[in-house]
Amino acid sequence: MGSAFRYALMLITVTVLQKFLFQHARIDDVGMDAFLALSVTAGLVAGPRRGAIVGFAAGIALDLTVVTPFGLGALSYLVAGVVAGSMEKLIVHSGRSLTMLVGFVSAFVGLLFFVVVGSIIGVAGLIDGHLPVVLLIVSASTAVLVLPCRRAVHWAESPSNSLNPALHRWQ
Amino acid sequence: MILLVLTAITLLTLSGRGFGPLDSLRSAVGSGLSPVGDAASWVFRPLSNAWDAAFSQNDAEKENQRLQEENDRLRGEVTQSAVATQQLQELLQLVGIPFVGDTPVVHTRVVAGTAGNFGDTIELDKGTAAGIQNGMPVITGQGLIGRVRLAGENRSTVELISGGGFKIGFLVIGTSAVGVAEGSGNPQVLQGTNVDISQNVELGQIAVTAGLRGSSFPPNIPVGTITSVRPDEAARQTRVDITLLASTRDLTYADVVLWKAAS
Repeated sequence: MGSAFRYALMLITVTVLQKFLFQHARIDDVGMDAFLALSVTAGLVAGPRRGAIVGFAAGIALDLTVVTPFGLGALSYLVAGVVAGSMEKLIVHSGRSLTMLVGFVSAFVGLLFFVVVGSIIGVAGLIDGHLPVVLLIVSASTAVLVLPCRRAVHWAESPSNSLNPALHRWQ
Repeated sequence: MILLVLTAITLLTLSGRGFGPLDSLRSAVGSGLSPVGDAASWVFRPLSNAWDAAFSQNDAEKENQRLQEENDRLRGEVTQSAVATQQLQELLQLVGIPFVGDTPVVHTRVVAGTAGNFGDTIELDKGTAAGIQNGMPVITGQGLIGRVRLAGENRSTVELISGGGFKIGFLVIGTSAVGVAEGSGNPQVLQGTNVDISQNVELGQIAVTAGLRGSSFPPNIPVGTITSVRPDEAARQTRVDITLLASTRDLTYADVVLWKAAS
């Protein structure tokens, strides 16, 4: 089972979770963003290049489920993944709190990029009085989601296949 | 990485130019996810309920208090509203336009809100199989709430008017003042512009869809009441705030008006 297949599996799971669970769990009318969390975590765990690829794919998944311009999510979450990967490369650490901080900053940058580019290309209603709340809550929730997501991304990235022994037994 | 950036920019450009297959893809994904959604909603409902119970209790208490006060106030307004409704009916008859209720509608249930944090949308449990098409107006018993943005076979995504994603031509009942309204960032208020400054628009008057040639909406769907009037002498126009008659929050049911704009 290749890495791409495992990421695809994760993306489908994240899409279902985002659409049918996280959108209900809202604080001050702001929901968690599992797509963004996956993009940032991929950058954190596997570097900016993988962050860009997974961010692009997660952004496409978001674009397929919302009505904002198609490609805006792909471009923004790609940026979030790259920022996370680049920051992780620059910072030498092993602490959980620093990982969460990188997650927070990357999510914030990705989301801000989404809003700014969206506004430039003419999407109405992105910049209003509620925007700071959206930025803070989504970034903070992404920082928290990064921790459980890390395990999933490690699984997707791992070269060994935990299903192989079971599959060999069947053959 | 550059290839991905270029691909995203290309998709953005195609989307901006109204490239049809992208919308078809979105509709197909929406329809494809609907069976999963029904099952997932059932599975996740206890979690959603637990979340609501944990984080919405204070809100519920405040809401309850607010509703009690509002109930008292509304009792006093019932008589006044009845008179206003009668006046609206008479005015609609006077201008000789068919009543809104004559247009066929599809009754739908709201099954989901937006998946992201931007773009004010809701999802309905019916789609093209029930005759719904992109661009059709969506109403509740109180008035206009949005338009169908993406119609799948058995799911439709509705863009709410509060999101500011599109404009509505409106007519102020009792005058010949027309203007253009769009979202203001406040979910219950639209900003209206381009109203001829010579028209006498007053607070409390009702705005309905104008239905002028090329309009995206049929005439006479109630939109809201005028709650602010600001003449702009320099621009020779009057700006107005329109408070929506229909709430766009916590919707359970909505009707899609089977009306297509003339292309």
